[in-house]
Amino acid sequence: MDFSYAYPDLFLAVVALFVTGALLPLLLNTRRGAIAAFVPAAIASALTAALSTLILFSGSTIRLAPPLTASIPSIGIALYIDGVSAFFMLIIGLVATAVSIYSLGYSGGSEEKRGVRSVGFLINLFVLSMILVVATNNVFSFLLFWELMSLTSFLLVIHEDEKPGTLKSGITYLIMTHIGTAFITAAFLILYFSTGSLSFDAFRSSAGQLAPFTKDAVFILALLGFGTKAGLVPMHIWLPKAHPSAPSNVSALMSGVMLKVAIYGLVRVTFDFVVPSSPGDAWLGLLMVAAGSSSALVGVLYAAVEHDIKRALAYHSVENIGIIVLGLGLSVVFLSYGLATLAALALLASMYHSLNHAVFKGLLFMGAGSVVLKTGTADMNLMGGLAKKMPWTAMFFLIGSIAIAGLPPLNGFVSEWLTMQALLSSYQVPNQVLQVSIGFASVAFALTLGLALATFVKLFGISFLARPRSAGAERASEVPRTMVAGMAVAGILCVVLGVLPFVATSAVASAFHLDLGLITPYSPLGPLAVGYTASGLSSISSLSMPTVLILTGSVGAAVFGFVVLAGSGRKPVVRPYTTWEGGFGPLGERTEYTATSLSQPIRTVFKTFYRPHTSIKREYFSDSNHLVRKSVSVVSETREVFEDYLYSPVVGGTLFLLDKVRRIQTGKINSYLLYMMIATVSLLLLAVFQF
Amino acid sequence: MQIPQPDIVALSSVALLVSTFGVVVRRSFAGWLSAYRYQSIVLAGSTGLIAYATGVWEIYAAAVLTLLVKAIVIPRLLVRVTEGVNDEFKIEANPYVSIRLSVLISALLVALSYALVQEILPSAGLDGLAAAAYLPVSLSLFFIGLFVMVSRRMALNQVVGLLIIENGLFLFTTALTNGVSLIIEVGILADILVGVMISSLLLLRMNQTFDTLDIGRLEKLKDD
Amino acid sequence: MIAYDITLGADAVKITVIGILQAAGIFALAPLLTGVMRKVKAKRQKRVGASVIQPYYDLLKLLKKDEVVSEHASWVFQWTPWIVAASTMSAALFIPIFVPFSPVSSAGDILVVLGLFALARFFVMLAGIDTASAFGGIGVSREMMMSSLAEPGLFLTVFVISLTFGGTNLTSLVGAAAQSGVVIAPSVLFGFIAFFIITLAETGRLPFDNPATHLELTMVHEAMVLEYSGRGLALIQWSQSIKQLLLLGLMVDLFLPIGMPASADASLALLGFGAAAVVVKVVLLAVVISYLETRVAKWRLFRLPDLFTMAIASAMVGMIVFYL
Repeated sequence: MDFSYAYPDLFLAVVALFVTGALLPLLLNTRRGAIAAFVPAAIASALTAALSTLILFSGSTIRLAPPLTASIPSIGIALYIDGVSAFFMLIIGLVATAVSIYSLGYSGGSEEKRGVRSVGFLINLFVLSMILVVATNNVFSFLLFWELMSLTSFLLVIHEDEKPGTLKSGITYLIMTHIGTAFITAAFLILYFSTGSLSFDAFRSSAGQLAPFTKDAVFILALLGFGTKAGLVPMHIWLPKAHPSAPSNVSALMSGVMLKVAIYGLVRVTFDFVVPSSPGDAWLGLLMVAAGSSSALVGVLYAAVEHDIKRALAYHSVENIGIIVLGLGLSVVFLSYGLATLAALALLASMYHSLNHAVFKGLLFMGAGSVVLKTGTADMNLMGGLAKKMPWTAMFFLIGSIAIAGLPPLNGFVSEWLTMQALLSSYQVPNQVLQVSIGFASVAFALTLGLALATFVKLFGISFLARPRSAGAERASEVPRTMVAGMAVAGILCVVLGVLPFVATSAVASAFHLDLGLITPYSPLGPLAVGYTASGLSSISSLSMPTVLILTGSVGAAVFGFVVLAGSGRKPVVRPYTTWEGGFGPLGERTEYTATSLSQPIRTVFKTFYRPHTSIKREYFSDSNHLVRKSVSVVSETREVFEDYLYSPVVGGTLFLLDKVRRIQTGKINSYLLYMMIATVSLLLLAVFQF
Repeated sequence: MQIPQPDIVALSSVALLVSTFGVVVRRSFAGWLSAYRYQSIVLAGSTGLIAYATGVWEIYAAAVLTLLVKAIVIPRLLVRVTEGVNDEFKIEANPYVSIRLSVLISALLVALSYALVQEILPSAGLDGLAAAAYLPVSLSLFFIGLFVMVSRRMALNQVVGLLIIENGLFLFTTALTNGVSLIIEVGILADILVGVMISSLLLLRMNQTFDTLDIGRLEKLKDD
Repeated sequence: MIAYDITLGADAVKITVIGILQAAGIFALAPLLTGVMRKVKAKRQKRVGASVIQPYYDLLKLLKKDEVVSEHASWVFQWTPWIVAASTMSAALFIPIFVPFSPVSSAGDILVVLGLFALARFFVMLAGIDTASAFGGIGVSREMMMSSLAEPGLFLTVFVISLTFGGTNLTSLVGAAAQSGVVIAPSVLFGFIAFFIITLAETGRLPFDNPATHLELTMVHEAMVLEYSGRGLALIQWSQSIKQLLLLGLMVDLFLPIGMPASADASLALLGFGAAAVVVKVVLLAVVISYLETRVAKWRLFRLPDLFTMAIASAMVGMIVFYL
């Protein structure tokens, strides 16, 4: 039965639910505020996910034009949901469902419920604006909902303004996102000038006839604009400031979903409007590959030495966006040389990773939020021992860590396997410069993977294992059930997406109308196969996750049986005792390794990148006697290279120039009126005498 | 449409200009207000002339309203509100542009507006419209009012300058479009009324807080 | 590029049985390899050394003993040996060592094997932190640095192998190698150097890590598993030897495939001969590695990145040479 007639109504129902979720908490009091805001949000998000799945698998497209604005075609809200939009709506819906359930119990960084109603209002609007951004069909509505998304997220970021530095992070975020929006607007304007229309349909139909220079300009502007929002290096500086400052459910949404909306924009512009079709376009893909691999490496290098749990996760988002853009770039390169199957493979890898990252990053931020809530600190050096005190949170955080580190059998491994296959197939590109460059990118990619694994050992290990390092960690207890339930939704998704890859591959394939051919069959237990069919080869690399899981499980069972047998059937006694500390007797928790100490070798090895700076401050009781010291403090910090060498000079120079311009602001009303008079008179003269 | 005697139109234009110069020349608040009152009466008369010429009854209503509000209500309102203000602030003792220079510049502005209208008229096809004679006057009213706001130091003077600008614009629109609908007239008048009320209240507060209505002293508030 | 047709003409039963036997052989022979390497080292150090089957006695003894677990450790510590054992041993299922095929190659390729090794390493590192001891921390911090540097070397080596032999499916890789014999090409040689260095790092041999020491100056892997005893320790040690055998066997099969039959259709006699050849070659390689171990000391920790960089550079040169 074909239900596609109902889809527009379902979509309107989703919008209505989000609006309800936004307005209800403002009308009710605080105690019910959380429920009033997030129950409609959860239902609406689940409905979005369901609707997008239906759209994806039925292959239909939906057009909606709200009645009031239909009469003005260019300035107006036109909605168009095709497979690509539906795929990203699916991502939004899945993560938003988990986060909404989580938010039912989450009350912010502290135990009192402050401002839950405004957060509920803003989150509903935020998710709704993201859904609408991926569903729009013309420039005006795209920019309208994009701005709405940026503004609501800004307000959410500065919500916990009692923390120092929150306002500054929020302003940095606001400025960077508007710089990005400016680039995006410029790209759309160029497209408008070439096609004469503001509608995406016009852009799509004229995609093949763009002049090469126009194509390049649009692509680069879009890459800069969407890259700023997505957090590509070097425009990423707002990410590690904004995500930690926001409340954790907001960080989960921003990191998991909002970055993917930026990726959606990039995908739309690249594959719908600026279709790469000739080898001359390959350098665009190479640019993306370079940007992606450097983002990945820079992101993970900074994450490796970070000891604030949320800032580390934010840097990991930069890393994963880098991997996604790397996949997109590979796809563009392959497409320019007409290698359609390989382009499909790279795009599949990239989109699969987008879905995966949304799910596991949401899960990790939710876990981090729980930890911060219960221990009262976000500094990993003050945590520890939480695995025993918060067992459920620990388990789900572990699932998230295994997923993001790219380990089998979870979803991160599958998308990284696909990306590696795409990289390994790059020999088929008939251009040696490209081949070697992609080879270099693979080095960066592999190093990123290695460091990511190390970083998550640190993140999970220091936060949850061993002994508590502070009183806050001692006092921690498990979080409310709704928060655990939210994490459970995301965790289960991680497992499903990992063990049954066909779910995501068929979703991506129908979304992008990919002819995967030899690449992936759609059967549930069938292997994910990549065929190498160029130059007379016929070898096939394949991966069948369920089989791997079953084999590992059965081997584990066999080993267990063997061990029991070899131990002569006697159940061994397990005695708890203190840890071996070299015979000195039980030592305190200060002898434990901290996050900073774990990352010290990495910091030393990569010191040309980090430029660590150690300063020692000594305080004396009196200046005349330097032998008796009051205190000695050592501060060791790494510098953010991009902030110091790129942004600070630019900001400083701009402020200097603007200071000079400030002279025209005299403070006298009369001078301002004089400016107005001069302006009016000269305009009139100009208009009339046409000088 | 009967074209009224050109002399009546010319006479009323001259009367308007004279009243405007009256505001420029006078130094005291009472003087400004009386000049403004005079100007509003002439304005009401001119509007009546236009109404007579075009035969649109709404313009008659607008003329009556103008007379009522601008010639009677607003001056009374201003006097009442500024009763408590020190006399020192009702005299423009030290304007940014001296009175003599202001008169010269006002004359230049009148010439400018006549020149502008000469350029616009043929192309806009408004030749022959009797009310077109009022266009240059209204434009000069606008410019002179703006100039008054720019060159004076006392806040009350600025309010009067704003009122003159509004008069000029009112005449401009009435002459150009043969009167706008009554609703808009009423709206504009209400806007002016409220604007005057609010600005006078603000001036009162300003006087209470800073003990002065000298705008030149406000520059100390600049955030440096 | 060398092509290989992976259609396995032989019947499925034969392949499955041989595959299971191969896995069992790997599990059984791994401690023997460790024993051989220790014996060689002992002889070079003018000692008599323990017998080559001593590791078997050790494992059996440990399996019967009680365990002492740190009171600070959580369930991660207790589960780690099982996870390590399960993942390393299932990796053994995917790698064809003694015969040129594996029944489940289409389910997992070399990237899956590396992923399984990484999973094991992840949990060992977590266990190292879990005990709240400084020894564990020091081992984990060193291992973090070394494994992240080993990763690009490993991936580039896989890249070079994949370029040379085609694909990442292990059966087709090993079969292609067997078919072409020893490939003397610059890219392959560079790849071999890189793989050799990375293998030394992954198996914890000198100069990266000393498997025989328990001094904190020189421990990496041993530090992480210091707190283990009884069954857990047995499983971890066994997994370590299996991993060693797998890596050495892979190196032998890909780079020195003399005597290996080229397809699964070969008769049992040929397969048996190939298996014996592999055993001989692996033992020889192990002897060479042990000999090298006695010639070097453990390097200072922050000199090791230079060695890793050499491996990465070697593999990169191999890749570039292949393209040009």
